Amino acid sequence: MSPLASLLRVRVNHRRRLLLGLSAAAVFLSLLGLLLSWLSPAIGAPLRAGLDFTGGTQIQIERRCDGGCEPLTTATLQRRLAALDLPADSGAQPPRLGGGAVQLLDEGRQVVLRLPTLSADQSQAVIAALESDLGGIEPAGLGIDTIGPSLGAQLLRASLVSLGVSFIGIAAYITLRYDRLFAALALLCLAHDVLITCGVFAWLGLLAGVEVNSLFAVALLTLAGYSVNDTVVVFDRIREKRQQLQSASLADQADAAVSATLTRSLFTSFTTLLPLLALILFGGSTLFWFAVALSIGVLVGAWSSVAVAPTLLPVLGRR
Amino acid sequence: MARQQGWLALILALAIAAAALLIQFPLQLGLDLRGGSQLSLQVKPAGTITRVEREQLEAVKEVLDRRINGLGVAESSLQTVGDDQLVLQLPGEQDPSRAARVLGTTALLEFRAQTPGTEEEMAGLLALKRQTQSVLASRRARVDPAEAEADPARPLAADDLAQALQELGVEVPEGSSEIRQLELLLDAVNTRIVDLYEPAELSGRELVGAGRQQQQTGTAWDVTLSFTREGGERFARLTQSLAGSGRLLGIVLDGRSISEASVGPEFQAAGITGGAASITGNFTAEEARELEVQLRGGSLPLPVEVIEVRTVGPSLGAENVRTSLIAALVGLALVAVFMVLTYRLAGVVAVMALALYALFNLAVYALIPVTLTLPGIAGFILSLGLAVDANVLIFERIKDELREGNTLIRSIDAGFSQALSSIVDGQVTTLISCLALFALGTGFVKGFAVTLGIGVLLSLFSALVCTRVLLRLLMSYPNLRRPSNFIARAQLPTAAS
Repeated sequence: MSPLASLLRVRVNHRRRLLLGLSAAAVFLSLLGLLLSWLSPAIGAPLRAGLDFTGGTQIQIERRCDGGCEPLTTATLQRRLAALDLPADSGAQPPRLGGGAVQLLDEGRQVVLRLPTLSADQSQAVIAALESDLGGIEPAGLGIDTIGPSLGAQLLRASLVSLGVSFIGIAAYITLRYDRLFAALALLCLAHDVLITCGVFAWLGLLAGVEVNSLFAVALLTLAGYSVNDTVVVFDRIREKRQQLQSASLADQADAAVSATLTRSLFTSFTTLLPLLALILFGGSTLFWFAVALSIGVLVGAWSSVAVAPTLLPVLGRR
Repeated sequence: MARQQGWLALILALAIAAAALLIQFPLQLGLDLRGGSQLSLQVKPAGTITRVEREQLEAVKEVLDRRINGLGVAESSLQTVGDDQLVLQLPGEQDPSRAARVLGTTALLEFRAQTPGTEEEMAGLLALKRQTQSVLASRRARVDPAEAEADPARPLAADDLAQALQELGVEVPEGSSEIRQLELLLDAVNTRIVDLYEPAELSGRELVGAGRQQQQTGTAWDVTLSFTREGGERFARLTQSLAGSGRLLGIVLDGRSISEASVGPEFQAAGITGGAASITGNFTAEEARELEVQLRGGSLPLPVEVIEVRTVGPSLGAENVRTSLIAALVGLALVAVFMVLTYRLAGVVAVMALALYALFNLAVYALIPVTLTLPGIAGFILSLGLAVDANVLIFERIKDELREGNTLIRSIDAGFSQALSSIVDGQVTTLISCLALFALGTGFVKGFAVTLGIGVLLSLFSALVCTRVLLRLLMSYPNLRRPSNFIARAQLPTAAS
């Protein structure tokens, strides 16, 4: 075994077509999911937007069930909501609640209502009106979220701007520390990771009705920093191998770097996944999809730093 | 060696200080964890002002601060967010509707004289107003329709109501009850009355105080006012001009008439002097208190809108704390098991460093202080995984060096120095994202960015200093100084073993 061959335990560049093909397929499926979601009349956006983006009021009520809850159907509550006559809010017309969504959770102990944007007064009126149907309410278990319609647009704008600024900042830093080619590759990987994570959620929204909220935006932004972190470690090794193995081809240098960092890449992704797994299993409903989004991002990020960046480098570096 | 001991002493001192800090200053929990209400208010440009400036935001905050103090809510906090928003936190408050009412209105009080020549129209509107009010009062008091039939107040026939609503151009949503229609009618009448007044002579800015008192007959409340000297003089001039003319003195709040008073001919000489007045608006006790609080606090220089209200019940918050605590401990345990199984002695050191990291992290939260919210805790749990990242990098490098046949101490030193550049590069990119999140995000996004950013910086300290010092300390025991404590014997070159 030659000294070079011993450094090339993993030859990603020999399987370049397969690896890049897999990534391309995943990106294509993601784009398809985003497009289908956009065309779907029920969603009308690349991702199924949750309360944080659309605005509205969500009321979560815990029923007081001493010795078992009375059976309850969503239709009963829906009829009650449709007939409800809300107080006006400082002269503005009160909304009608006939189209509101009602969900029963935890064997009917929890009721979640999704309604148009209500004032604080109106939310209390809704709760008071439903109390008799619900057979008592546990006041300590109440949760009310009201998001004005303008806030959703602000959140979307802030998220996109933050994402853009992170992209530029990271690109500038990598250009400074490495070169423009590496920066372009890192951004490509980053876009790949973010796109596939969004794609998975587009499909989840289409098939399972999963909505994205502001925590999802936070997950994407965290991912932007984390995914590059992984890629940079491989870059650092490639730079080192370029000096050590000057006679080898760029593909071999990249493979040597991947071979040297593979264990590390897999382990760090794994150690990041472990707490996320704990969040998925035990973190409660609020953090569930946040942890799922990050887990997908971490997995795809590990893939892109091992299989995409080092295989694209020799292709782009030749020009 | 002396330098090593210096570092060790520093880490120990920091750990003790951190523990003491946590005992002294408990962590602040956000409303989603302890229960309570949070209101976000957006300041809106109005009139000649097209953009909300810093001073205007501060001026709005000052007024709202006074109103909140007037409400007497314990522990509330009001903070400006971004360029034009304010966030009010009401720990323990389950029903934020009163706060939303009191804070969300401008409360611009005006005293205006009736325009000459509008007497006839005014009389019609006032008659309609009185009738609507009395029907409304009796409808509210008697929900039972059988009793409403026997109501002494002259009922407003359904046709009359529909006609009155149409004349005033009020749109009524499909299926509104009679009470709701009456309320809309009353609101429209009160807006229309204001059209019959001349521009304001005197406003709520001229007040030095406000109070309330119950009417001597009946249960309704009045709101009492006392003017500044300048305001008192203007009030006297205004009432003097109206005295005996038959025209009314209008008291207008936010563009709606709340009271119409006639001024008797006895005030023709000097007007109503003394710098005090009272508003007879037939308020309930609660309404009178809210108006009093608003008038004392002053009117808002710019209108505000309540754009977000979040209410979390205390047991819901406790549930959030419980689940995230379990998730954090399980996450920590999983990472610890993995590190020890993979890196043996070095893994044990990494776990110790991770425990120190968690301790320092919580201490920094208490020190700054960072209010812990659910997303913040998620950031902290995530950072447990990221914190060992640097350790993995270093330990993998140490293994590389050992495989090449270097001695243990040399391998450890080389591992730290060679892994440094990629560790720093990786963490800087995460910090860049944190900065973007912090600078551009609002509310809890900022909280998440702060916790993650602190996590990244502390994880650097934990990996580069704590792990190194602890590892050096353990290496001073000859029993532990064996490469097989770091790597499977089979992977070592035969020369070194």
